[in-house]
Amino acid sequence: MTGSDTPTDGVDPDAPIFADFMDGETAQVHRVAVHAADSAETGQVRIVLPDVDTPIIWQVRDMRRVPDQADRASIVLGLDGPFPARLRITDTALARELAAICPALKRPNSIENPARRLAILAAAAIASVAVIVFVLVPVMADQLARVLPTRGEQALGDSTYEQIRRALGSENQAKLWECDAPDGRAALETMLARLNRGTNFPYDIRLHVLDHDMINAFALPGGHIVLFRGLLADAKSAEEVAAVLGHEMGHVQNRDPTRLTLRSAGSIGVLGLLLGDFAGGAAILFLTERLVQAKYSRKAESTSDIFAHDLLAKAALPTRPMADFFDRLHQQYGTETGLMSHLASHPDLPDRARAALAADTVGDSFVPVLTAGAWRSLRHICDSGDRDRNAQ
Amino acid sequence: MIIQTLTTDYAGKRGPLFWLALKTSVLTVLTLGFYRFWMKTRLRRFYWSSIRPGGIPLEYTGTAVEKLMGFLIAVVFLAFYIGVFNLILVFLSFSLLNGSLAAYILSFVGLIPIYFYAQYRARRYVLARTRWRGLRFGIDPAAWGYAGRALLHWGLTILTLGVLLPRQVFKLEKFRIDRTWFGRERFTQQGRWTMLLPAATHYFIGLGLTILAGLLGAIDPAGFGLLPLGLPWLLVGWLHFRIRSFHIMAAHKRLGENIGFTANPRTWRVIQIYLAGGLLIWVSLFAIIMAAVFAIMILFATIDIANLDLQALGQAFSAGGQLLVLFVAGFAYFGFFILGGVLRQIFLTQPMMHHYAETLIVGNSHHLNGIAQRPRDEFAESEGFAEALDIGAAI
Repeated sequence: MTGSDTPTDGVDPDAPIFADFMDGETAQVHRVAVHAADSAETGQVRIVLPDVDTPIIWQVRDMRRVPDQADRASIVLGLDGPFPARLRITDTALARELAAICPALKRPNSIENPARRLAILAAAAIASVAVIVFVLVPVMADQLARVLPTRGEQALGDSTYEQIRRALGSENQAKLWECDAPDGRAALETMLARLNRGTNFPYDIRLHVLDHDMINAFALPGGHIVLFRGLLADAKSAEEVAAVLGHEMGHVQNRDPTRLTLRSAGSIGVLGLLLGDFAGGAAILFLTERLVQAKYSRKAESTSDIFAHDLLAKAALPTRPMADFFDRLHQQYGTETGLMSHLASHPDLPDRARAALAADTVGDSFVPVLTAGAWRSLRHICDSGDRDRNAQ
Repeated sequence: MIIQTLTTDYAGKRGPLFWLALKTSVLTVLTLGFYRFWMKTRLRRFYWSSIRPGGIPLEYTGTAVEKLMGFLIAVVFLAFYIGVFNLILVFLSFSLLNGSLAAYILSFVGLIPIYFYAQYRARRYVLARTRWRGLRFGIDPAAWGYAGRALLHWGLTILTLGVLLPRQVFKLEKFRIDRTWFGRERFTQQGRWTMLLPAATHYFIGLGLTILAGLLGAIDPAGFGLLPLGLPWLLVGWLHFRIRSFHIMAAHKRLGENIGFTANPRTWRVIQIYLAGGLLIWVSLFAIIMAAVFAIMILFATIDIANLDLQALGQAFSAGGQLLVLFVAGFAYFGFFILGGVLRQIFLTQPMMHHYAETLIVGNSHHLNGIAQRPRDEFAESEGFAEALDIGAAI
C-alpha cells in the first residue's frame, strides 16, 4: 500500500488503532486495525482485517456517522448509501481525528431523503383521500339511497332527528325542546292537510317545531320536517310558513336528505381518522352541521322550489309570500358566513325569489291557510305544553 | 452445554435522552405533529444503541421519511376502508335492522382485525430495520394470518372469562417467533403453553376473586366488597404473569439449533419502576408548575399597585394583551404535555428498557459468527397502519 513518507512528530504514522468492524455480510465482529494517519492527504481510511492481506478502503468523503447513539464514548461509522458495514471506534483520539478529516461525517445518509418521491406520494395521498370523500362516497351514497327500504329510511330519520336535538341542546335543555302546545299542533296539521292534498309521499310527513332561534327549516330522511321557532317568529304570515313547508316537502319527495345523511355517514369516519378523533365529538358536530345547514345542489333547491310552487297552486295559495320570505332572508343573512340556516345557505336567494314571484297563479284573493287565531297559536307553539316530558 | 455467553449492558444516560426527547418534542409541536416521525426515529436510534448484547450495540436503521410515506399510504387505505365500509354498514344496518346500533358495533368490530394486522406489520417494519453485529433481523410476511390467529385466541380468552390467557399469550408468541429471523438464521419458540400455568397462579387467584365478587354482588350488593381485594390482585397477578411468562418463553427460544436466551426481568422491579416513575413525573410537573406560579407572583409583586394606571392597563390588555395571554396559555398547555412526554421517556421508558436489557443473556454465542446476512425487506408502507390507528404510540 502507499503509506505516508512524511513522519509526523515522532508518532509512527502507520501505528494501527484497533476498532470493531462489522462487514454487513456475517454476524462476525472483526477486531481490525484502522490506519488513518495519512487520510488527510490520500482521502482514504484503510481497515485491515486480521489474516487478510488486502485492506478495506473507505473514502473519507463517503463516511457518515450513525446519529443519535446513546454511548458518547464511541462512534459508529458507515458509508453513504445502502451499505450495512459498520466501523465502531472507541479510541477517542482516532474518533477526533476522523471527525477532523471526514468532510461529510454529520450529513444524513443520502438514501434517507428521497424528497421528490415524498412530494409525489403526499400529493397522490391527498388527491386519493379527496376522491374518496368527494366522489366515491357521494356516488355510492346516492346509489344506496335509491334502494334503501322505506322503513329503513324512517329509522335513519328517527335517529338523526334525535341526534340533532341532542347536539343542539344546551345546559338547561339536554335535548332541544320539541314544541307541542295543542292549539299550535292543530294549526300545523291544518296547514299540512291543505298542502298535502293530492300528493303521494312514500311515508307520512312528520312535522316538528324545535325551540331554537335560528330562522331555519330542514327535512330529514323518512318524512321528518323540522321548523325552528325562529322561523315562525320571523314569518310575516302563515302563507310564508306554508311556502317553506312546501319547499321542504319537495326535498322529502326527492329524498335529498337521505342521500345527504348517507354521504355524511361515509365521510364522518374519514374525518375522524384524519383528526385522530374516531367516532368522537367532532364527528357528531360535523354531522349536525351538515344536516342543519343541508347544503344541497342548486338543482335540488330549485327542484324543491318548483315542487312548492305546484303544491301552493294546487292548494290555491299564492307564491308571493315565498318571494317575500326569500328577499327578507337575503337581507338578513346575505353577507353572513358560519353556521347558517339551510334556507339561507344558498347565494341565489334573489333569483329564487324572482322565480317564486313569476310562478304565482293565485294573486291576492285566496282563503288564508290559517285563521288569524290559528296563526297566533302556531306562533306561540313553544310557549306552553308538556316541557317536562321533552326535557328528558 | 453452554460454551460461551454474552451478557447485555445498557449505555443510555438520562441527560442525553432528556435533551433529545425535549428537542424532538418541541419540534413536533412546532410542526403541528409532522416531526413526530423524526422524533420516533431518533428516539429509537438512541434506545436501540443503548442495548448492547456482548458490548455491541443494536442499530435502528429506519428513517423518518419512510415512516411519513407509510403513514400517507395507510391513510389512503383506511380512508377508503372507513369511508366505504361505514357507508355500507350504515346502509345495511338501517335497511335490515332499522337502527344504527348494529352499524356502530360492526364499524368498531371491523377495525379489530385491522388492529392486529397493523400490529404485525409494525413489528415486521421494526425488525427489518433493526441490526446487530451488522446483520438485519426480519419476520416473514404473515400479517393477515396473524390477525386471524389473534382474533381466534383473543376470542377464546374472552369466552372463557380470561382463563385461557396463558394459552393465547403462548400461541401468539410462537406464531411470531417461529417466523422471526436474525440474518439467515431462524428463531423458534419451543415448549408448550401449559408451562406458563405456574406463572399465572396469582393472575388466576385475582381473576377468581373478581368473578366471585361479580357473582356474589349480583345476588347481594355486599358481594362487591370483594372487589377491592380481587381487582388489585388481578392487576398485579396479570403483570407478574406477563413478566414471568416472558422469562419462561425466553428460556425456550432458540436461534438456529444452539443459541439460547435467558431473560430475567423481576416483577417487583417493574412495579417499582412504574410507581417511582409515575411519582417522579408528577412531582416534577408539579414542581415546574409551582415554579411558574411563583415566578408570576414575583413579577406581580414588583408592580407598584398603588400607582397603577388601571385605564392604561385595560387599554394595553385589550390591544396586544389578549394575544399575549393566548400565546402564554398555549405555551403553558403544550409545555405541560411536552414535559410530561419527556419525563415519561426518562423516568419510565428508559428504566424499563434498562431493566429488560441488563437481564438478557445470549447463550452459546460462538455460533453467531457463522450466521449470514439476509436481504433488505423493502416495504413502502412501513408502520403506517399502526401510526394511523395510533397503536403502540410509545416509541
